[in-house]
Amino acid sequence: MIDGYKRLMNIEKPPTPKTAKGFFTDTSLCIGCKACEVACKQWNQLPADGFAMTGNSYDNTGTLGATTWRHVQFIEQAKANGQGQEQRWLMMSDVCKHCANAACLEACPTGALVRTEYGTVYVQQDICNGCGFCVPACPFGVIDRTPKHGHFEAGTAHKCTLCYDRLKDDMTPACAKSCPTASIQFGDVEELRTRARRRLGELQARGESKARLYGMPEGREAEEVGPLHAFFLLLDEPERYNLPAVPRLPRKTMAQRYGWSAAVGVGFALVGALVFGGRR
Amino acid sequence: MDAANFPRQGGGDGGYYNYPVVRRPVWTWEVPAYFWLGGMAAGAYVTAALAQNFGSADDRRVAAGGYYVAAAALVPCAPLLIADLGRPDRFYHMLRIFKPLSPMNLGAWTLTALTPIAFARAASHAASTGLLRGPLGTLARLVPTRLAELAGVVLGLTLAGYSGVLLAATNIPLWAKSKLLGGLFMASGLASGSAAVTLQAAWRGAPDGSLHRLAMVESAASAGEMAILTGYLLQSGKTARPLTSGRLRAPFWLGAVGAGTLLPLLVHRMAGRRQGRPLRILSSAAALCTIAGSLALRWTIFEAGKVSSEDQAASFELSSE
Ligand code: SF4
Ligand code: SF4
Repeated sequence: MIDGYKRLMNIEKPPTPKTAKGFFTDTSLCIGCKACEVACKQWNQLPADGFAMTGNSYDNTGTLGATTWRHVQFIEQAKANGQGQEQRWLMMSDVCKHCANAACLEACPTGALVRTEYGTVYVQQDICNGCGFCVPACPFGVIDRTPKHGHFEAGTAHKCTLCYDRLKDDMTPACAKSCPTASIQFGDVEELRTRARRRLGELQARGESKARLYGMPEGREAEEVGPLHAFFLLLDEPERYNLPAVPRLPRKTMAQRYGWSAAVGVGFALVGALVFGGRR
Repeated sequence: MDAANFPRQGGGDGGYYNYPVVRRPVWTWEVPAYFWLGGMAAGAYVTAALAQNFGSADDRRVAAGGYYVAAAALVPCAPLLIADLGRPDRFYHMLRIFKPLSPMNLGAWTLTALTPIAFARAASHAASTGLLRGPLGTLARLVPTRLAELAGVVLGLTLAGYSGVLLAATNIPLWAKSKLLGGLFMASGLASGSAAVTLQAAWRGAPDGSLHRLAMVESAASAGEMAILTGYLLQSGKTARPLTSGRLRAPFWLGAVGAGTLLPLLVHRMAGRRQGRPLRILSSAAALCTIAGSLALRWTIFEAGKVSSEDQAASFELSSE
């Protein structure tokens, strides 16, 4: 009977775990060419999002979304340096962080969101019923639901799969493969972390005092959502890249919230018993 | 100043232009409508069960109508929940796994379990009053009423309480900042549910004593709701602005707070010394206000959450606590 239920409900045995794979996105190397955005769209057959001009530097993508799984940010900064204005451009290719404690995955009521054998977070398209809970749950605003009556995979949740299909064939994800400067590096998470620490040391030695890693196990940002399997080397504070200083995991405060709710319910039951029982 | 120190672009909180940090919830009106009806059904069931087990013979007779209210209010719940899905044809995937860690999954299971219990309890009451006869009546008489009441109360309180926790278990600042949203929705659901029991009792010409007691229970819930709402607003601070001063301020202050909570408290107080017809009219009016106010509360908080999702500064504040 259990087997029948599992078959009916598409519940499969998970594959055996492999070494965790991820991205190290080194924003100090990004030249803003958007090859990653294009490669991702192409490989994953994601539709275009229209041709709106935002007026925000070279960024006409805006945000990540259901059909945009890589997004290159262009941050223009200027300061006076004695002889006039000194300008710099910070560029960063944003992506799903594949959090170790993923808020989207914990929220998902259907089990559509799973942790794969590569340690990544993946939406099973045949399971998702588009309840939309993962959308506001993600602290980074990554995952989104496609329009219910749209033409592309209507009504289900979508985000970066870390090219699950390519990983299965021992191939590098499309974005990392296409990145001409190695700003996006793909590999074993552990090895990438070592590489990232070394790179940070180099940059700091060159005077990039504000350079930092975002998403490492020892970082503040890992306090709730855990280390990120897609982590970053940033050249300024996380907020400048719209990244929260300490991304929240809703689970952490859930017991307290249920507690208040239960207290009100029990209080009401007591009052009711007293009022009905204490009649003259 | 060292080489890497650039001032924040555009001042302020200096996020990435003014793009939101989190995504806008995709849910539509079905969700607050479902939360409202589910909360009311649960509140009515709990009130009826309390009267059944602790009240006088009159209370028991009068409040048993609450089982009908609960069953009726539960009917549209599942369709509303399903209609809001991106893929309504896959609604049963909610019950593919049991995962109480996800409030959405917990709620789906609770609704699935409570609906038949509420119907069975309503049927058993109908059978006991002779309304339901024949083989169905005989079947309904077999329902273990005490067990149905106990299970229904536990499931009902879960249904009334999880909705606020669900919204709060996100990263939307207005929903998540205060820890009290679950309690607030619970109080609001219990207030509207007991109000629905009052309303049907008044319509059916309940004795004064029972009406007074029902009004007292309802007022206790409303007073509790007021207290928790105050706490919620204080804890939320500036984050609550889309609710308190945006385009939703009129339905929130006048609807949810004024007409929906304070007014019925006042009217019930006024009715406290009356008897007969005036009492019934005043109680019905107050109960209707409470029920409408509960909808206004869910709807305004729901909509304000969407506005809040675009508030970059509130998101940064939420994540730096
Ligand atoms: S970044 Fe968001 S969508 Fe990606 S794994 Fe983390 S919570 Fe899920
Ligand atoms: S929309 Fe799909 S992936 Fe997201 S929580 Fe709901 S069922 Fe899970």
